[in-house]
Amino acid sequence: MSPAGCPHVNCFKVDNWKQNLRAIYQCFVWSGSAETRKRKAKSCICHMCGAHLSRLHSCLYCVFFACFAKKHIHEHAKSKRHNLAIDLLYGGIYCFMCQDYIYDKDMEQIAKEEQRKAWKMQGLKAFELKLGIGEKYSTWEPTKRELELLRHNPKRRRITSNCTIGLRGLINLGNTCFMNCIVQALTHTPLLRDFFLSDRHKCEMQSNSCLVCEMSQLFQEFYSGHRSPHIPFRLLHLVWTHARHLAGYEQQDAHEFLIAALDVLHRHCKDDNGKKANNPNHCNCIIDQIFTGGLQSDVTCQVCHGVSTTIDPFWDISLDLPGSSTPFWPLSPGGDGSTLNGESHATGATTLTDCLRRFTRPEHLGSSAKIKCSGCHSYQESTKQLTMKKLPIVACFHLKRFEHSAKLRRKITTYVSFPLELDMTPFMASSKESRMNGQYQQTVEPFNNDNKYSLFAVVNHQGTLESGHYTTFIRQHKDQWFKCDDAIITKASIEAVLDSEGYLLFYHKQFLEYE
Amino acid sequence: MKMEDMALSGPDSTRLEALVHDIYSELVEDACLGLCFEVHRAVKHGYFFLDDTDPESAKEFEIVDQPGLDIFGQVYNQWKNKECECPNCKRLIAASRFAPHLEKCLGMGRNSSRIASRRLASNNNNVSKSESDQEDNDDLNDNDWSYGAEKKSKKRKSDKNQNSPRRSKSLKHKNGDLGSSVTSEAFKYNNYNSTGINYETLGPEEVRSLLTTQCGVISEHTKKMCTRSQRCPQHTDEQRRSVRVFLLGPSASSLPDTDTTAESDTFDLQGDGGGPQNLISRLQWEDSPDISPTDSASSRASTNHSDPRRPKKKKRTSLALNHSAGGGEGTSGNLTSGSNGGISQSSVNLPTKKKRPKLPAPSISSIYDDLNQH
Repeated sequence: MSPAGCPHVNCFKVDNWKQNLRAIYQCFVWSGSAETRKRKAKSCICHMCGAHLSRLHSCLYCVFFACFAKKHIHEHAKSKRHNLAIDLLYGGIYCFMCQDYIYDKDMEQIAKEEQRKAWKMQGLKAFELKLGIGEKYSTWEPTKRELELLRHNPKRRRITSNCTIGLRGLINLGNTCFMNCIVQALTHTPLLRDFFLSDRHKCEMQSNSCLVCEMSQLFQEFYSGHRSPHIPFRLLHLVWTHARHLAGYEQQDAHEFLIAALDVLHRHCKDDNGKKANNPNHCNCIIDQIFTGGLQSDVTCQVCHGVSTTIDPFWDISLDLPGSSTPFWPLSPGGDGSTLNGESHATGATTLTDCLRRFTRPEHLGSSAKIKCSGCHSYQESTKQLTMKKLPIVACFHLKRFEHSAKLRRKITTYVSFPLELDMTPFMASSKESRMNGQYQQTVEPFNNDNKYSLFAVVNHQGTLESGHYTTFIRQHKDQWFKCDDAIITKASIEAVLDSEGYLLFYHKQFLEYE
Repeated sequence: MKMEDMALSGPDSTRLEALVHDIYSELVEDACLGLCFEVHRAVKHGYFFLDDTDPESAKEFEIVDQPGLDIFGQVYNQWKNKECECPNCKRLIAASRFAPHLEKCLGMGRNSSRIASRRLASNNNNVSKSESDQEDNDDLNDNDWSYGAEKKSKKRKSDKNQNSPRRSKSLKHKNGDLGSSVTSEAFKYNNYNSTGINYETLGPEEVRSLLTTQCGVISEHTKKMCTRSQRCPQHTDEQRRSVRVFLLGPSASSLPDTDTTAESDTFDLQGDGGGPQNLISRLQWEDSPDISPTDSASSRASTNHSDPRRPKKKKRTSLALNHSAGGGEGTSGNLTSGSNGGISQSSVNLPTKKKRPKLPAPSISSIYDDLNQH
């Protein structure tokens, strides 16, 4: 018996008490469906004074409702010696002998389960209405062990919005600014941070060379409160060991490093959820959950209009920019019939949305690239279109600023404006389908929050193709931005972030649902 | 029924208002009750105290937003002397030099395989190499120290990726911090000149055969033998002669000229652990003047042998030379076998190599006077 419980419940815990208690919870406390709500409203009145409100309680031993405020339930308890009553609003159990609400472990367990069930029922209904209510959020409660530890360590730090904990500089090990900037972006990815800080990684690698463990260690370093910059030499060593193609003391591309790092992390944490990845598409590791999206590629035969669809996983979206040698707006004849044609792109800066539109436009493949159509059984010209089938929780956009064509090598420094909040709905495969079905006007569903994203990290490159330097802007505590330049972290304004050139843009889904 | 409509009729509206008011206050009360339950539960379970944090220590972690300081209130750029331990070789390396070190250490640099195979080759010839020198060879080809040699290599790189910034070395770390942990082993012996040969790794027979076909003069800058023909315009016959003498002993000279004017400061002496003895024995090839490689090298060497050697080598008279009994032939063997043992010491001179050696004993005339005046 925990100190929160009481001995008097033992009289109650006989026979079929669990069933009874569940019934009480289902019918009178947590109402899952409309019928139960109605029933509760009708039948729950004080048997003594007829009041509906004023903290109604139900006796646990018999069917008797009475209000608490006017002590009617107390009278019942005394006269019948029924010592336990349950609060019909919040499900708390009151013991008249102890004269206090008590928390018995078993009973609480039942209460929690019933509450979840009721929420789920409500949620299902809401889901039909597309209200987006999922699982009920329950706050964290420490276990006994955790309580002990916390009691022994009275110097607790609470991370407020004015706190530097969580931010730390990284020493440049010799041209490693490309690694530093990606590390800063990853350590400020909220979901990843939560995963590692709650020790969710169980390492199954025998040797000392698990990159996920090193990542976990990195988070510990960032949240340790140390102010001197961290030296990520072990991380560099591990990355070079596992991604040989990246190794070498020379300037590297941050985007390449990101992909390689995600790949190694993905390989090393495959087993975290206990599912062996026989099928790479079904891997459920944290990297896949956060970063992997699905890109749908539709090839439409011009003759029979048959569509062949493939879906490929992706970790980032590489966008072409105006100013490269490939023209930015080569609109195909059967192209997106909406607003683009004839719009003057010279007015105003290119936006990220423009780049995305270009990315998802139907592209005529030309006579030199005929695809075998299974409908026509011959090679026909076709158009290809890319759309997002499934968006990852963290979407990374890579602006292709480094051009390496046959003739020239240069960096494209065109300014691309990117928003703080991004709605990806127009680029989804589902939107395209509805467009094709004739619904040109997309009604914005007010409650559909699935595709709304917020910017949280920007990686910038200064310099030329041959040599340059990477810095990162990251977002902390909702609206504070910081500039990370290797070992130097300074506060930055939102304007500075949005004015920067942008090379890698990291967006995080705004609304997450629990599963 | 709309509220506005109800307001019009008298007693009904007040009842409605009262009802509404009741409902409203009940809702507020319920919400407050919920909060009370939460607190009550936290207290009963014993975790209510968690809300207490230490306000004093919280102050330490406040974000600082002033120019010239980072968010921790520290000045920029004070992190020059950080060190870390290499996971591969367990040595302490300065943090800003870690990446290039690791590249060599893991054998991934552009020159690492070359160094490794050369080391293997020389291992076959020379058994007596000390272990530490093996490691030092890793650093031999570290280009970070010589701007010039590196520039050549840059042009040979090809692009690996369409959309990445072109890989190239940034020069900002070239003259970087040595750091306290970088000892003499880091003083690189620049063997980078790909057109030359490092004579130290060759056995006497190889040297001999080489010298019959090639110019062989050892370059002042790179310490390598010139691989051009025996008529190469860059070097004089005198130089060629003195090289042969130096490497093969006095009887080995095949050049007609007796006038050898090898550049003295191109010969880093193999300060092979033999100590002054061996040096002296080498100096004994005196009918051809001894090229005392130590002129340029160990005279400036900060390590063991420099002091005892210095007076001896500077004198260059038969005086010094008579002390030892080593023969000319024998010395060449010493030369090559001891070669790598001395590199670490002699290569200390690298930064100052370009200076002409100053001979404090000018009164001794030898053919090397000419040398020294190059």
